[in-house]
Amino acid sequence: MFLEIEGLTKRFGGLIAVDKIDMYVSKGEIVGLIGPNGAGKTTLFNLITGVIKPMLGTVTFNGRDITGKRAHSIAKQGIGRTFQLNPLFGDFSVLQNVSTSFYLHPKSSLFDIYFNTKTYRRNEAYIREQALEILKLVGLKKVKDELAKNLPHGYQKMLSIARALAVKPKLLLLDEPIDGMNPDEIDFTMAGIRKTNQQGTTIVVVEHNMRIMDLCDRVVVINFGQKIAEGTPEEIRKNKKVIQAYFGGEHAA
Amino acid sequence: MDLVVATIANLLILSSMYILAALGFAFLFNMLQICNFAHGAIYMIGGYIGYLLIVAMGFNHWVAILSATLIVAAFGIFLEKFLFRPFVNDFNRTVMVCVALVVILQTTVDIMVGSKTMAIPAFVEGAFKAGPVFISYERLVTFSIGVVLLGAVIWFVNRTRLGKQMQAIAQNRMGASLQGINIHRISAIAFALGCSLAAVAGCLMGTYLRLSPFMGDLMLVKVLIIVMLAGAGSIGGIIIAGLILGTLNAVLPVILSGAASDAVIIAIVVILLLIRPQGFFGYEVEM
Amino acid sequence: MSGDPFSTDGLSDPATAKRNRMNKFMKPMMAAGVVAVIALLPVLLESIYLLHILIQTFIYIIAAVSLRTITISGQFPLAHGAFMGIGAYLAGMASKWLGWPPYLTLPAAALGTMGIGMLIGLPFARLRSLYYAMGSLFFGIGVVYIIRAGGSLTGGYSGLTGIQAMFGGSKLAYYYLFLGLTVASILALYRLEFSRIGNNLKAIAQSHQVASSVGINEIWYRILAVGVGCFFAGLAGACYAHYNTVLSPASFNFMATLWLVMYVLIGGINSFAGPIVGTIILILVPEFSRELKEYSPYLSAALLLIVAYLMPKGLVSLPGVVISRYLERKKGEKSTDVSGN
Repeated sequence: MFLEIEGLTKRFGGLIAVDKIDMYVSKGEIVGLIGPNGAGKTTLFNLITGVIKPMLGTVTFNGRDITGKRAHSIAKQGIGRTFQLNPLFGDFSVLQNVSTSFYLHPKSSLFDIYFNTKTYRRNEAYIREQALEILKLVGLKKVKDELAKNLPHGYQKMLSIARALAVKPKLLLLDEPIDGMNPDEIDFTMAGIRKTNQQGTTIVVVEHNMRIMDLCDRVVVINFGQKIAEGTPEEIRKNKKVIQAYFGGEHAA
Repeated sequence: MDLVVATIANLLILSSMYILAALGFAFLFNMLQICNFAHGAIYMIGGYIGYLLIVAMGFNHWVAILSATLIVAAFGIFLEKFLFRPFVNDFNRTVMVCVALVVILQTTVDIMVGSKTMAIPAFVEGAFKAGPVFISYERLVTFSIGVVLLGAVIWFVNRTRLGKQMQAIAQNRMGASLQGINIHRISAIAFALGCSLAAVAGCLMGTYLRLSPFMGDLMLVKVLIIVMLAGAGSIGGIIIAGLILGTLNAVLPVILSGAASDAVIIAIVVILLLIRPQGFFGYEVEM
Repeated sequence: MSGDPFSTDGLSDPATAKRNRMNKFMKPMMAAGVVAVIALLPVLLESIYLLHILIQTFIYIIAAVSLRTITISGQFPLAHGAFMGIGAYLAGMASKWLGWPPYLTLPAAALGTMGIGMLIGLPFARLRSLYYAMGSLFFGIGVVYIIRAGGSLTGGYSGLTGIQAMFGGSKLAYYYLFLGLTVASILALYRLEFSRIGNNLKAIAQSHQVASSVGINEIWYRILAVGVGCFFAGLAGACYAHYNTVLSPASFNFMATLWLVMYVLIGGINSFAGPIVGTIILILVPEFSRELKEYSPYLSAALLLIVAYLMPKGLVSLPGVVISRYLERKKGEKSTDVSGN
């Protein structure tokens, strides 16, 4: 198993956000993580990527135990992610957002950076090339000099994905990547996700929008911090518990 | 034994003054998210105005303190409108304005009275015997004023409509204004109140110890300590933190030298803040 | 292609490329020109008093620019004056008690201050914005109290005397040494800010979440920023110690820190040249208004208010604002001609 989560638990005060969740992801898959608002999907991501520390449980990635490790070392392990509220380096240009994200590969030493050595200049030229490539892939090359904070919403979301790709992740965690996008952008993004997956990146996608299931090999459904269903997209679409979780509760509310 | 009683008396009085000044600051900080670095200078100017009214103009003590407070309150309303309101969410510019204000106030005092220290003459003469020691009526009066004002502030915040509106604004500025609460008017009143409390504390300290153009700097540090240890939004926290600081400031200099006790107090404060940055009684502030 | 991932050279239109090339050439030339003029000032002016002022200015420029360097990582430290004090006292005590010569005390003080700053920075690096600012404020105050309580070692309240002077006290020699140190410090800090290191610091300031997710170790970088800032604060303090040969703890208290912050803010916190401009203005203006005597602080206060109200981006934005207003007016005149209104 590429990514293995066992018994992961997190409580905030009196509220159990993630309740003994087991999950696994095989290499090369696209797994969808769906569930209603507040189900604990983003908390799960945050637990995996070191933004918050779990109370119980383990996270194993590529054979290594990464439970509770800090966010930057998780990135070093090869896990990249986007965030739900889509923070960006607002005052940097689009290009700068992506090239800043090339922190890990290639990594220049402090000495090289400060004294502008040949190694540093070579690395920076390479980074620039790669950054432009990524921008072309996500369709943002024409706005490469725009400040990130001035971009329209859909572009900003694509910029996040571009930024996450700069980490050269083996596992990519996408948190609501198509949220707020128009249908054209959604098609484009989904095609991009598929292409990235075909090039070897394992992907876990959190989404509200059921359309994302078209992409997924497998889907895991969470509600109230617990896993309530798991299976192929067709199985999930027919699953009574899932339907109830999404629609049943509305009658009571 | 007299040392103990004298220290306790000292502690209570210092605490009450610290708490008054800190409450004034907290009004601005909690409600308007304004860190008024000039609070110490306003405290200082309150004391000097009191002195001027009593000594130079021969006002009666009580009238003088009241007048000084009203003058400073009016000044506070002026400050709120012209110096602080334009920069409400801009920490950088607020700091610049505060430093400018401090310089202006300190220079003015310096020009008018020079930097020789002076004290406001006592309210009431005489002392009474409490057990083995003499306690001056003066100190009793100072302490009582402090307690009465403290009670008044607590009553105001919790029981009056205005006070509740202030609490609303402190918790959610946008929401409060949508409910029809006039933020500008209330901010002006809060500023006036905050400055008044500082002015009273200044007059009290002027009688209890002495006046100096730099007393504001010292008090500002103590106020910041109390407010940070207490945390945002908690009056009870300020009272407790004020008592703790007053105790430390009264007790430690008896055992250690003045400079050493200052160092120890700050060390304790820094450690406490590293343990719990958001303070021990209030909530965390997002800035 | 320049290889700098943050520039757009070579990919933009010819006009922009030409402007960029000119900037790359013009800016260093202008800077070198300014330095040359400053170097010639003692010859041109022949005033010992002015040399004294400029020497102080150099010292505070080093401190102000390094303060700003820390702020680009999103931290707002309120203890820089105290760190200057640490550097000053380290140098002073090494000179007085250990007999070290200045060429040893200066680097030792800078390194010592850097070390202390980074050590303290460790627990503080976890604190966010306001709490970091307040924590550093109290720490700075504490440093002054500790110095005051240092008895005969630090000279206590009355201060430390008997620090070695340099060059037999020749102001001219001090002038050129400190000018050299200031230029070197500015270059060092400039390189830091505009390299990938500085870029990463700015990234952390904008979103520590995103920065961490791409592998940037936020705590490590914040401590790095503080370390660099403290190194130069310590250097400035050591220079102060050897120039004045006496130290008083009151020179490094909270007000000293606050004034350093003013130098940075009034010049413009978002520009590298900001603190340089701010320091020069806030030191020279009161000096040249000596005739006002005790009223001269009002002038400094007025400056602060003017900048706060009219030039929020600091004095460095003044030329830009003036030029763009002028251009706008010209454009306005042109378009009214064309439309005939």
